[in-house]
Amino acid sequence: MGFLTVLKKMRQKEKEMRILLLGLDNAGKTTILKRFNGEPIDTISPTLGFNIKTLEHNGYTLNMWDVGGQKSLRSYWRNYFECTDGLVWVVDSADRMRLETCKQELEILLQEERLAGATLLVLANKQDLPGALTANEIKEALQLDNITTHHWLVVGVSAVTGEKLLNAVDWLIDDIAKRIFTLD
Amino acid sequence: MSIVGKQLNSLPSNNISVTVDNEKALCTITPDDVLRLNKISEDYLCSPSANIYEIDFTRFKIRDLESGAVLFEIAKPPSEQCIADANLEKLLSATEDLTIEETADPNAGRYVRYQFTPAFLNLITVGATVEFTVGSRPVNNFRMIERHFFRDRLLKTFDFEFGYCIPYSKNSCEHIYEFPNLPPDLVAEMISNPFETRSDSFYFVDNRLVMHNKADYAYDGGVNV
Repeated sequence: MGFLTVLKKMRQKEKEMRILLLGLDNAGKTTILKRFNGEPIDTISPTLGFNIKTLEHNGYTLNMWDVGGQKSLRSYWRNYFECTDGLVWVVDSADRMRLETCKQELEILLQEERLAGATLLVLANKQDLPGALTANEIKEALQLDNITTHHWLVVGVSAVTGEKLLNAVDWLIDDIAKRIFTLD
Repeated sequence: MSIVGKQLNSLPSNNISVTVDNEKALCTITPDDVLRLNKISEDYLCSPSANIYEIDFTRFKIRDLESGAVLFEIAKPPSEQCIADANLEKLLSATEDLTIEETADPNAGRYVRYQFTPAFLNLITVGATVEFTVGSRPVNNFRMIERHFFRDRLLKTFDFEFGYCIPYSKNSCEHIYEFPNLPPDLVAEMISNPFETRSDSFYFVDNRLVMHNKADYAYDGGVNV
């Protein structure tokens, strides 16, 4: 643990966190990223690569990475796992047809060694849409209660209205901070 | 309140000369080398041909977080972009366009001139976005180091590791930051000396310099001199 401790101390000084937003295509990852950073969300096209935001929030430097979720891009996700402190799994709560795929992709991620230390925030997005499953229903569908390897929370949000988004991200940051910045 | 003017020019050729004579030496510039520079570089530190990854900047944007206003934005028209849709024909024709352009002026697209009014220097939080596409090769350990100077005084260093870029991808990065708190006499100097505030943007792949862009800045828009 010597090397990890040194790393943790360095990060503690920098107060920097790396947050990775993943999910199936059209889940709303980019919209969430833009909404969180106060950008217009009216002209968002599919992400064919990544979008990064670096910002100061609650005294921390956040590096937020949103990587495209199309099937052809998912094999590249692994290139962005390194040093991830927080994983945000974004779900289109109205896309009932692909919930099983959504569950499988998340399960694969949670087995990744390089994400083993990351806090998981599941955003049940698109709560503004009629027919959207609730956060609780998403929790059941993805069988989140079976997760024992990661700290996790599921929150119903709407990237369009911004509802509950800030609180959810603040929970994530608090949880990460408690794990990695409180050594002494 | 309009606080921004914009202009995109090529540098006058007598100002900057491109060293293309020793390509091998050029490619050995490392991040440590540019972090040690204590002023703006006189020349471009690599030739345009060092960009073997076809990294192409397609948008620069600056916004004010307080008002949400976009203060500056230039984007390549979509027809000139190497769109990451794996449409090879389209990609090839776009590459040809660029080749023609580069023949005419090898430094086109490496230099941006920003013209602001003094109010720009009073902003509190700004977001600076770059958007870029990459070519057919995956890019590893992509790192950007940006150094801002007023004359020989370092104002800001921005050092960011993008890491990996997917072949044919289109990517963006917005750096949202508190505007550096500059002493009033320095602000006055910067306003009365347009384009003496300058920046170098260095881009590295696997610790080798592949691109070097320059910008200069004026803050005297709307001021009678």
